Amino acid sequence: MKRRDFLKTAGGSILAGTSCAYAFRFLIRSDTSGVEAEIPPGTRRWGMVIDLNRCREGCAACLGACRNENNVAHHGDVRWDNHWIRKVRLEKKHGKGASQEVLLLCNHCDNPPCAQVCPVQATYKRDDGIVIVDHHRCIGCRYCMIACPYNARFFNFKENEHWPNKEFPKRSHGVAEACTLCAHRLERGLEPACVDACAKEGARAIIVGDLNDDESDVAHLIARNPVKRIREDLGTEPKVYYIGL
Amino acid sequence: MPATNRKNKRALLIALPLVIVLFPLGYSVVASLLAREAPSDGGDLFLEMPGAEHEACVRDTAYMRYHHWELLKQIREEVVRYGIRGDVGLNRCADCHTSRERFCNRCHEATSLYPDCFDCHYYP
Repeated sequence: MKRRDFLKTAGGSILAGTSCAYAFRFLIRSDTSGVEAEIPPGTRRWGMVIDLNRCREGCAACLGACRNENNVAHHGDVRWDNHWIRKVRLEKKHGKGASQEVLLLCNHCDNPPCAQVCPVQATYKRDDGIVIVDHHRCIGCRYCMIACPYNARFFNFKENEHWPNKEFPKRSHGVAEACTLCAHRLERGLEPACVDACAKEGARAIIVGDLNDDESDVAHLIARNPVKRIREDLGTEPKVYYIGL
Repeated sequence: MPATNRKNKRALLIALPLVIVLFPLGYSVVASLLAREAPSDGGDLFLEMPGAEHEACVRDTAYMRYHHWELLKQIREEVVRYGIRGDVGLNRCADCHTSRERFCNRCHEATSLYPDCFDCHYYP
């Protein structure tokens, strides 16, 4: 074998070997990611649209569904009750204009102030835009409750005995919590509990979907209706859009 | 007579504090000797094992006995922080080890370890 031929074959085999190794590693990695392999992380951006024109006066189906799905503390005392989603009545300050009921919940901000102030990184924003609390890490300092401009975060002042949904963990005494957009249900391909309850009532006032997907229901609703977000001036970039606010 | 009495008194004054100071040492020596003679009480710790119809655990018994918490912690980190939801998890343990009372708690109580997993996670 000539020196030149030897170098050719050696270089070629090294090149082939390394490229094979890279390809193999890539294959393995795509295998382990499982079900989510088709959708790379960070491409989805969950958001919510609340159509207040469809939301019914006095209806509390979503509130009860959320409470039962997520085991939210309910002691029957306003001091200790938590609300991942709640309904407030807006009254006009001047004149006798019609008052309005508004659903309030965690806005899953793109710039979440709660996650920025968390000293232990227990609250963080997931790749899909959901702001979630890792209750294992939470030390209960309640900075996030002060930072949140939407009053959407609550603290477990007492041990919660209310445990209707055994498949979902409850929170122990001493951690902060907020709406998770039913991340555990979205992962299984289900709609969040409030959305399901609202659809069951026939109102379909709450819609959850992927904001990055132009074909999704939420994207259509946002494109076709005049939507508002609460306190957009704060720069938190909330992902809950209101129609008819 | 008074001379010996005084001598006795002095001996007592020296011996009594000595006995008080040395008592813990002697007590521990005697107690450890007695404990060595008695059989270890770890033997009658009975854990309810799953029946033969169940497949083997995710790791071997020796690993699971001492390091199951490390595995659970690792899975927790993967699921909560990175969204990698695999097959194994705390709620899957209950498929085979059906009773926390007769499996987990027996060891935890014997070793005085009280993890707070089950304050929030349901385990039958």
